Amino acid sequence: MMEQMLEFKSSSGFSMGVELELQILNSRDYNLARDAADLIGLIEKTRHPGAVKPEITESMIEVNTSIHRDHGSLVEELRRIRDAVAQAAAHMNLRIAGGGSHPFHEWSDRRIYPTERFEHILEVYGYLAKQFTIFGQHVHIGVPNGDEALYLTHIVSRYVPHFIALSASSPFQQGEDTSYQSSRLNTVSAFPLSGQVPFVRSWSEFLEYFNKMRGFGIVESMKDFYWDIRPKPEYGTVEIRVFDTPLTVERAAALAAYVQALARYILCGRPLPPSREVYMVYNYNRFQACRYGLRGKLVDAYSQRHVTIKEDILDMLRVIAPHAAELGATAALEQLMADVVTERSDAGWLREAYRSRGSLNDVARMQSELWMGNALMGA
Amino acid sequence: MSALSYLPSFPLPAHPVLLFGLLLLAGFAGGEITHRMLKLPRITGYVLTGLLLGVSGLGLIDHELAREAQVFVDIAMGLILFELGRRLDFKWLRRDRWFAATAAAESTLSFACVYLALVYLDIQPLYAAVAAAIGIATSPAVVMLVAQELRAEGQVTERALNLVAINSVVAFVVGTMLLSWIHLEYRAGWVTVLSHPVYLLAGSLLLGYLASWSAILLGRWLGKREELHLVMLLGLIVLAIGCANVLKLSVLLALLAFGVMAKNMDHNHDLMQVDTGKIGQLFFVVLFVVTGATLRTNELMTGGAIAAVYILARFVGKSVAVLSLVHLSGIRPGSGGLLAIALMPMSGAAIVMVHNATGLYPEFGARLAAIVLSAVLILELIGPIAVQFALRKAGEAAQERG
Repeated sequence: MMEQMLEFKSSSGFSMGVELELQILNSRDYNLARDAADLIGLIEKTRHPGAVKPEITESMIEVNTSIHRDHGSLVEELRRIRDAVAQAAAHMNLRIAGGGSHPFHEWSDRRIYPTERFEHILEVYGYLAKQFTIFGQHVHIGVPNGDEALYLTHIVSRYVPHFIALSASSPFQQGEDTSYQSSRLNTVSAFPLSGQVPFVRSWSEFLEYFNKMRGFGIVESMKDFYWDIRPKPEYGTVEIRVFDTPLTVERAAALAAYVQALARYILCGRPLPPSREVYMVYNYNRFQACRYGLRGKLVDAYSQRHVTIKEDILDMLRVIAPHAAELGATAALEQLMADVVTERSDAGWLREAYRSRGSLNDVARMQSELWMGNALMGA
Repeated sequence: MSALSYLPSFPLPAHPVLLFGLLLLAGFAGGEITHRMLKLPRITGYVLTGLLLGVSGLGLIDHELAREAQVFVDIAMGLILFELGRRLDFKWLRRDRWFAATAAAESTLSFACVYLALVYLDIQPLYAAVAAAIGIATSPAVVMLVAQELRAEGQVTERALNLVAINSVVAFVVGTMLLSWIHLEYRAGWVTVLSHPVYLLAGSLLLGYLASWSAILLGRWLGKREELHLVMLLGLIVLAIGCANVLKLSVLLALLAFGVMAKNMDHNHDLMQVDTGKIGQLFFVVLFVVTGATLRTNELMTGGAIAAVYILARFVGKSVAVLSLVHLSGIRPGSGGLLAIALMPMSGAAIVMVHNATGLYPEFGARLAAIVLSAVLILELIGPIAVQFALRKAGEAAQERG
């Protein structure tokens, strides 16, 4: 019965979907608000694509896209979801913002969204549950079976610093500049079941591991693992969870297109074998990306070279360009490349906003104005 | 000069600072006792303390002392109205037109219901109209302070505060226009009839405009330093209160206008959001103690029936408007009823309006007081409890510490 629960559903190759966790702000001082229930209720009354769900605290919502094959339709759907969410929020005098962290909220003010699962998380993890008011993007990539999912997971682990550096948008936490480009992942690391998938190669070995963990009473379902990259058997996908939510949906779509092209390169060409050494350097590389973003240095476990994350991304963008072309994502990745070359990042944008205005309230306000776009112009 | 002339003379003279300290401590003690023993809002405790010490109780705070304390009451009202004004967001009303419609209907219906009920009870139309105008307003002080005490936030809280801001303005404008009618009734000259309301409205708005414009310019010059903005805003608030008093303008309208314009004219976001609550708390306690002290329980005997009708008609007016329109704004089912309950408290400004009327035409004031003040007495005690109930029930209160 357990095994049935974890049967890996087959997905058609390289389909993708995006989940975004978003911040709900008030329009007075742009601190986090507590209106998730009202907001979700109102959005459900409007016609919109995708799905909108509650998250761990009342200051967050999560939006999900449907399944896409190319960047064009993904960005289109994300824009329509954004407009629906932004208009509903404006209707309630709320603001919605991207970004991996709220710049100045205090975690102790947060309230858990009242569902059984979230109450349970509060029960188990205590204050960590409220500190989990951080905002990430998850990208799902469809794979044909569990073995392929594990292969993709092990190889993509090599590129996790890319994802972190490209999406980093949480320089501020609790009213302070953290000096990190992405401070959000430090919060994730506090959870005991965070980290990486075990180094197993076949889905049957993975099931053995999972059933053991279940037998120990440590986990009940895959949801209890807070891994950076997680196979998602019921969707037939590999889910990459290290992204900070970018400041715009356009950036979110471009990041998904990058993962999609990378996955196609990995699964079609099988360029590298899975390697335990990737996991030996994993946490060091991850830290470099969080702390320094594009300027961080990573250790390539395969060549044992040190390279800057920026150079490594630019190399990879060139390598996967034919796959991007095949998938119709050339323009999106060219834009991404231009941003990497000039070292434009969301974290940089947020720090610049703070430098020019001198107030984190203004940073949060500008963050929401950037994300909501035209929804605020209507009146 | 006698050898002991440096000693104070007995009985000790009334001194404003001594008075302030005594009122503050007495109210504070009453609030804590009420809160801890009866689990009621502290505000109810402040009012009860005032009732106990005031003209209806031990008589320690008489009219003389209450007038001495008026300066603190004015500062408290000014701080509250400024904060309330900053919550009123015109852009929101334009985006959510059903909410704007709710606000308009809520003010109109509560006036209409009270007016018709009073006329039905054979009260002369002029008195009925002035009493109904007073009934439009929900107490900004009670709603603001209960929301602050509970650290409440959410759609019911935000919408209640916006509705309070709007109905306070409407009540004031309607009340001021009725002033012409009162002047007319008492055969004042045409110049007075026409110019007095205009002076009050235009003068108070202009004062608010100048204050908000100064605040924005000073805010821009100061830069984003919260502690500096706090002192600057407190200074301007107190100055505006003083000006309104000296110029015989309305503290209520001027300070509300100051807050509204500071929010809605600040296109560059130069003004910071500051927390005047902690400093204000000192004055808020005194505000409610003094309000309680001026309430008269003996009027409850004579005016009890009218008060009951008045309160009921007002509640019906507000509820019908809110319940029939607010769900069109898309908030959770059930929120409408709670919102209507949160609008129950009557404004302490009613007392001020009655006093002002008394100052102009004592006979008019006395008859108006008989209609309105019993309702104020009842709602001063029940109002905070109603707001607390509504915000808690809506799930918008923060978890309480201890």
